[in-house]
Amino acid sequence: MFSRDHIKQSFQAALPIMLGYVAIGIPCGILCDSIGLNALQAFLLSVLFYSGAGQFMIPNMWLAGGPLVSIIASVSLVNTRQMLYSAAFAPACRGVKKRLSFLFAATVTDESYGVNVQKFSEGEWSVDRATMVNLFSQSSWTISNVIGVLVGNAIGIPLAIAAFAMTSIFICLLVTQKWTPENALAALVAMVGVFVCKMLGWSGPAILVGAILGVCAALAFSWAKGRG
Amino acid sequence: MQPMGWTDFFIVFVCCAITMLACRVIPLFVLKGRNLPEGLEKALGFIPPAAFAALVANDLLEPTMFDAGLWPAAAPLVAAVVVGLVAFKTKSLLWSAVAGVAAYALLSLI
Repeated sequence: MFSRDHIKQSFQAALPIMLGYVAIGIPCGILCDSIGLNALQAFLLSVLFYSGAGQFMIPNMWLAGGPLVSIIASVSLVNTRQMLYSAAFAPACRGVKKRLSFLFAATVTDESYGVNVQKFSEGEWSVDRATMVNLFSQSSWTISNVIGVLVGNAIGIPLAIAAFAMTSIFICLLVTQKWTPENALAALVAMVGVFVCKMLGWSGPAILVGAILGVCAALAFSWAKGRG
Repeated sequence: MQPMGWTDFFIVFVCCAITMLACRVIPLFVLKGRNLPEGLEKALGFIPPAAFAALVANDLLEPTMFDAGLWPAAAPLVAAVVVGLVAFKTKSLLWSAVAGVAAYALLSLI
């Protein structure tokens, strides 16, 4: 279980994620500071919510004047992708203690999912090591966020530039999707949907509406294809 | 802009943390041994591309973006293309973030 060897292996696997989280976590903390959140709030978000995309979206949507309901709905919708990761790890957690499975499942992110899936597929990997990868990553994320809030605008990084770190991550996550015709349609319709929402003045729920339209379009397309 | 007070923070924090935990934990415990209905699995599979595309579009596109002239709006788009290429080449979130911030900072100096 949590042996010295395993800790070392986990740390090595988590290191690239940890560095990435410093690069994104500090701007995220700065952004949170800009809407008046303090270090304790950033800490709570990082420990109990722990979502890079979500923790960027909350201040961004707040800055854009989005209503609370729309912030919560958009963040939650974007995070439903976690269900896929969770489902994907179900076989690996067979026969693993409930508490460890819970801790592991509760700390999965896009990045640690990627690393752990690869490690599990190579074999010689276990849920305790995967959990430690998650926890190392989360520590790095939490510390970076708190530092970001404490440093705040002292560095004087323009927010637009800091926020572009997250835009870049979304672009990377988008580009590395499997490019089937259905997925391409989902992405295209989602983008058009967001733009149209903004033209209509619904910038608050734009992400939510755009993403749902994209999913519906792709579902319709795949059903139509299945019939024809 | 009004700062986000503790009440607003608490509402957003608790709701988001609960939906997040549910999405992270429930499928794993429900599925230890079973498969999702096919339609649901399909819909779930379309969420990542749709959600990420919506997030990217939300950050990059604004109906009034070209009102202040071509370049201020085009700079982030050019930076986004740079990120796209780096992401395609490296598949690395870290390099994408670094390239994006660097490209964006450089382009906004021009």
